[in-house]
Amino acid sequence: MSDAALIEANGLAKRYRSGSKTLEVLRGVDLSVSRGEFVAVLGRSGSGKSTLLHLMGGLDRPDEGEVVYDGRVVVRAGKRGSNIYRLSVVGMVFQAYHLLPELTALENVTVASMLHGGPVCWLRRRRVARARAEELLDKVGLSERAGHRPNKLSGGERQRVAIARALMNAPAVLLADEPTGNLDPETGGEVMAVIEALHRDGQTVVMVTHDDAIAERADRRVVLERGIVKVEGRRTKDEGLRL
Amino acid sequence: MYVLLLISKYLRRKLAPLFACLAVVLCTMMVIVVMSVMGGFLEMLRASAHRLSGDVIVRAGSITGFEQYEDLIDRLEALPEVAVATPVIDVPGLVKIGTSSIPVAQVVGIEPGGYDAVVGYAGTMYWQDHHRVAAHDRAFGPASEQSPEALEAREQIANGAFERFGAELAVPEVWRQRPDERRAVSGAIVPGIEVSPYNGRDAQGQYDFRHTLARYGDRVVLTVLPLTRAGGLLEPETRAFAAVNEFKSGLYEVDANRVYVPLAVLQEMLGMDEGIAVDEEGMPTGGVIPARVTEVLVKSADGVTLDAVSAAVRAAVNAWEVDHDTSVFTMTWEQRHGVLLNAVENERGLVTFLFAVISIVAVVMVATTFYMIVLEKTRDIGTLRAIGASASGIALVFLGYGLAVGIIGAGVGSGLAALIVTNLNGIQELLDAVFGWRMWNPQTYYFDRIPDRVAFNDLLWVSVGAVVSSVAGALIPAILAARQDPVETLRYE
Repeated sequence: MSDAALIEANGLAKRYRSGSKTLEVLRGVDLSVSRGEFVAVLGRSGSGKSTLLHLMGGLDRPDEGEVVYDGRVVVRAGKRGSNIYRLSVVGMVFQAYHLLPELTALENVTVASMLHGGPVCWLRRRRVARARAEELLDKVGLSERAGHRPNKLSGGERQRVAIARALMNAPAVLLADEPTGNLDPETGGEVMAVIEALHRDGQTVVMVTHDDAIAERADRRVVLERGIVKVEGRRTKDEGLRL
Repeated sequence: MYVLLLISKYLRRKLAPLFACLAVVLCTMMVIVVMSVMGGFLEMLRASAHRLSGDVIVRAGSITGFEQYEDLIDRLEALPEVAVATPVIDVPGLVKIGTSSIPVAQVVGIEPGGYDAVVGYAGTMYWQDHHRVAAHDRAFGPASEQSPEALEAREQIANGAFERFGAELAVPEVWRQRPDERRAVSGAIVPGIEVSPYNGRDAQGQYDFRHTLARYGDRVVLTVLPLTRAGGLLEPETRAFAAVNEFKSGLYEVDANRVYVPLAVLQEMLGMDEGIAVDEEGMPTGGVIPARVTEVLVKSADGVTLDAVSAAVRAAVNAWEVDHDTSVFTMTWEQRHGVLLNAVENERGLVTFLFAVISIVAVVMVATTFYMIVLEKTRDIGTLRAIGASASGIALVFLGYGLAVGIIGAGVGSGLAALIVTNLNGIQELLDAVFGWRMWNPQTYYFDRIPDRVAFNDLLWVSVGAVVSSVAGALIPAILAARQDPVETLRYE
């Protein structure tokens, strides 16, 4: 692990069984992300991008290798530790938004904060949480839509609510799985603008995408092919992204 | 906290929680109504059975009865646990009303005052002054048009001049004075309301005063079989009595098979009264043969439990048995009517059990509904897991949802049940008025009203059971939801 690394994937391997066949999705992936870095993970469909993100987000366990956050191995944290990791360390954004349809935009953002502690704890900090949720919606340009349910929001608006929700608990790392995948280029651009703004404010971002143009906006891009890192490239200040 | 938020949001969905709640409401309501009505019948039966027997019964081993009952009564009434005791003769007999001879299982000789003190006998008199006043008015026209004599008679009736005769087993003097040979009677008789073949219940379960024997003190001929002290059969004894009222105890078997006559008269008829001892040649020996009865009924003092009075009576009876070298049985009123009460209790338990089994439908309905909700919410579950919800938290959402459905269902169900039970008779009247259909026909069933008292203990337990069942129904879907793989659920479409 490098000194500056905030989160690392070390030799991650993941296999899925389908009948008698075993599908090797990841075959020893190493990836190190520094604090404040914006990393784009590229690759074709089935290359293992989303699986890598799920493993880094503590949603799934690797068959081999480990995810290390801030010097600690995530997989050893146990179920409770994994929950806390997902709750406090990472914020996840998905291609399909995954907002809870019964909740308003504001509630969808606030619910992430509700996962901390019990009802008494929540009652004590509900005003602060609500103020933060409103601030985040304002930050993603949706303060006017706070009372609307997801079915009354456009795709871009839903994704921005999802980003606000992911940021609710001030995560160290924002993990975004094809956040613009379901959006038209213009709306995708708006969402990317939000992510870039967050990055400029110091947010560490790992984003999966298959769109080169979107990946161009990252500090570094990593290309996965058949479950291994094929290419890595870094953008310099003046030259842009170089593979 | 998110658990409460999601439960409240899920409850506002339209159909799924409505169906689950509806299942719980219907089953809760059904079980409470059945338990309340059946429990009401049981209570009515118990009250009637208790009313007929007092608290403790001291009973002879045979129909020939036992002597020295006055001494026994004195000893019992001296006990602090006993309020009052009264002698009774209970023997089989034959009743002839008009041209009909009716085998009556029980001819009961009583001392009306003491018997009333023990079992509240006066309160079982069916025909009240208002029946007689109404009959008088039907015969003589409206009170404003009646002659002074008729009005005086009406006044007498209205002031209870007749009503007390049944309670006192006394023949009104006005009947005795009539120059009618049919009025020559040995005393008063009060048959059960179902003994006379002329009585019948109308649609409201009421009897018609015009058909009662007690209207003018009709002659009832009673035949009993006297027995010697050794149990030998003597010639049947037949005497005529005047029916002064009819009683309704609430137990059909009793009301169809029992007549009350004065104890002293029955003792005479059965040869159980006090007599002069004679030798083998029939010459008086100078001794006295004590009178006999078949039972002594005991009423406990206020605040004394049945167990306490029963124990005290048993101890006193044991001492009395030793002193008089005799043997009797002692039993509580519950033991005496055990067969009937247990049968109804078992029936109630069986019906409740059957309805409770049917109520498993509610559990299955809740489980099915929740399983469908879990399937529908698969992506939400994945989302919640992805943002940090624990598996147990997910399970709690669905268990809490089940709890909320159970509480709402049980609350509404028990409220509706209470509403239905307390208005059952009104509902019946409404159904009768609108559709001409009576679910409870007092002409067929003995009680004239459907029990309409809610058993709040039962209501409480059924409601708790409904809530537990609802949570149980949500348990498997909750476990399934908690065990879902978040990665798989996020991919779910």
